[in-house]
Amino acid sequence: MIQTEASSAPAIELDGLTVELGGRPILVDLCASLPGRAIGLLGPNGAGKTTLLRTLLGFFPPASGSAEVLGFSLARQGKELRAHIGYMPENDAFVAGMTAVHFVRLMAELSGLPSEPALERAHETLFYVGLGEARYRKLGTFSTGMKQMVKLAQALVHGPRLLMLDEPTNGLDPPARKRMLELVADIRDRGEANILLSSHLLRDVEELCDEVIILKNGRIAAICDLEAERRANRSFVELELQAPNEAFSAELTKLGCELAVHESGRMKLVLPEGRNIRDLYTLADRLDVGIRHIDLKRDSLQDIFLRAMEDDNGGV
Amino acid sequence: MAVYERTWRRYSGVLTPLKGRFLVVTKYAVADAFASRLFTAFYAICFLPSVIGLLFIYLSHNAALLQQLGMPADIMEILTKRFFMILFSWQALPAFLVAVIVSPSLISADLANNALPLYLARPIDRREYVLGKMAVLAILLSPMTWIMGLLIFGLQAYFEGGGWWLQNYRIGLAYLVGHLTWIVVISMLSLAISAWVRFKPAARGVLFGIFFILAAFGQAINGVTGTSMGDILNLGRASASVVLAMFGAPTPSGLPVIFNWLTLMVTTVLSVWLINRKLRPHEVVR
Repeated sequence: MIQTEASSAPAIELDGLTVELGGRPILVDLCASLPGRAIGLLGPNGAGKTTLLRTLLGFFPPASGSAEVLGFSLARQGKELRAHIGYMPENDAFVAGMTAVHFVRLMAELSGLPSEPALERAHETLFYVGLGEARYRKLGTFSTGMKQMVKLAQALVHGPRLLMLDEPTNGLDPPARKRMLELVADIRDRGEANILLSSHLLRDVEELCDEVIILKNGRIAAICDLEAERRANRSFVELELQAPNEAFSAELTKLGCELAVHESGRMKLVLPEGRNIRDLYTLADRLDVGIRHIDLKRDSLQDIFLRAMEDDNGGV
Repeated sequence: MAVYERTWRRYSGVLTPLKGRFLVVTKYAVADAFASRLFTAFYAICFLPSVIGLLFIYLSHNAALLQQLGMPADIMEILTKRFFMILFSWQALPAFLVAVIVSPSLISADLANNALPLYLARPIDRREYVLGKMAVLAILLSPMTWIMGLLIFGLQAYFEGGGWWLQNYRIGLAYLVGHLTWIVVISMLSLAISAWVRFKPAARGVLFGIFFILAAFGQAINGVTGTSMGDILNLGRASASVVLAMFGAPTPSGLPVIFNWLTLMVTTVLSVWLINRKLRPHEVVR
């Protein structure tokens, strides 16, 4: 059996996915098609992030609806799918009596690697996550940060096509957190694996993901293409003049800017392709207009998240 | 020493077949058991009854030696069934002890630090995980029980020649079915205990308790009621009765053999239910 190449299907496709636990709906009618290479899963505690991850792993059967991950049907091809997934759970997960290399090798073999390549890759992966020197130590003796790295190593060792990370920076001190984020960013940039990152830390998600799905009370509150937002943010400007100036507004329109002018002299504009802030200063200088305040509008992930949380009904 | 680059890449090599993947669980657990020299030595000692049995079969067919020892030349004709029954129990006892030593950590080690989701996030399911763990005990116990038993039976049949094996087929059957039944019952029971009792000495105590305390309780029921109904709780007696019935010998239980089979079956089914309740890829918060 040879590993198949990545299909062109979206990384995750949800079609009315509903999950009930103990008769209570935890995830309700989730519909989304997420093609992103790095997908963030955001939401407050109890929103259903971990339940969604576990459902995608086949731990919980859907009450209704369906899901496809990497083109594999969750209902029919769960086992085949899991061969292509690397899962890093939120909580501690290890076998205390095993050495790191033994443990990571076991996980590689369970994913289907023959014994020799499994050992080779266990060593490589432990070096990659920075545990090369500690690979013969028993996991029970590891610090929290090291345990997090071992969890990442076991998720990576078999070379998965989708890496599911559940709160990967939990309990890490700042240097360890930085290292973890660098590793995940490196994996993303190599382009060999999709990433599904569940976190309640907006900064982590904003830093690593190009697409975000926001959950609230088990429903999708928002889906956001962060990459598109970033592009839009680069051209969105808030401007305040010392006094309203019609000539300046007219010149801005000639430059191709979309414009909204307030009576007080404040204006919001979207710069066209190929124009930048410097052009605004040049224009103001030419027309002898005083600019009191200029700001690149940043509609940050925090804004998007807060807006999603304010909407009582959820909805995309 | 190998030098590893700090890099990560996809794996595109050959994968092992999905069907036998559960044996990875078995392989690591067996290796873990034999990591202890003390256990390895004990395991070797467990073969002693079988080795002595083989030796006895060989000697019993050496007329000159029997004469020197002052033993009747037809000793095996006299002892056949008794010899095999005694040997059976001397094989089953060490097998029980091996199960007591190995089984407590089989599942509990994975549950203690929440490692189960990592297994089940891979292409094996709960059934295969349990099968993999059960195979550990089957692999460890089989050589010292039914495999050696059938080897001794085969050696005796070879020396005797003629239709000996046909006349005594029940002995071979008892060794095969009796030991396999014992292995299944003890494996499932000890795995269930391992799943529910995480502290090793306590798990061992519970396993002993189920055999000896329940047996005493059953005995008390027998005494009070003046019947043999208490034997339903006596796993040891139920196993012995099932095997002795296969040998065609009188059974120690006052109950019909079907009840002894029932005891073993209920124990196994209950164990499977307990394992199923406990093995979840996530913590169940109630």
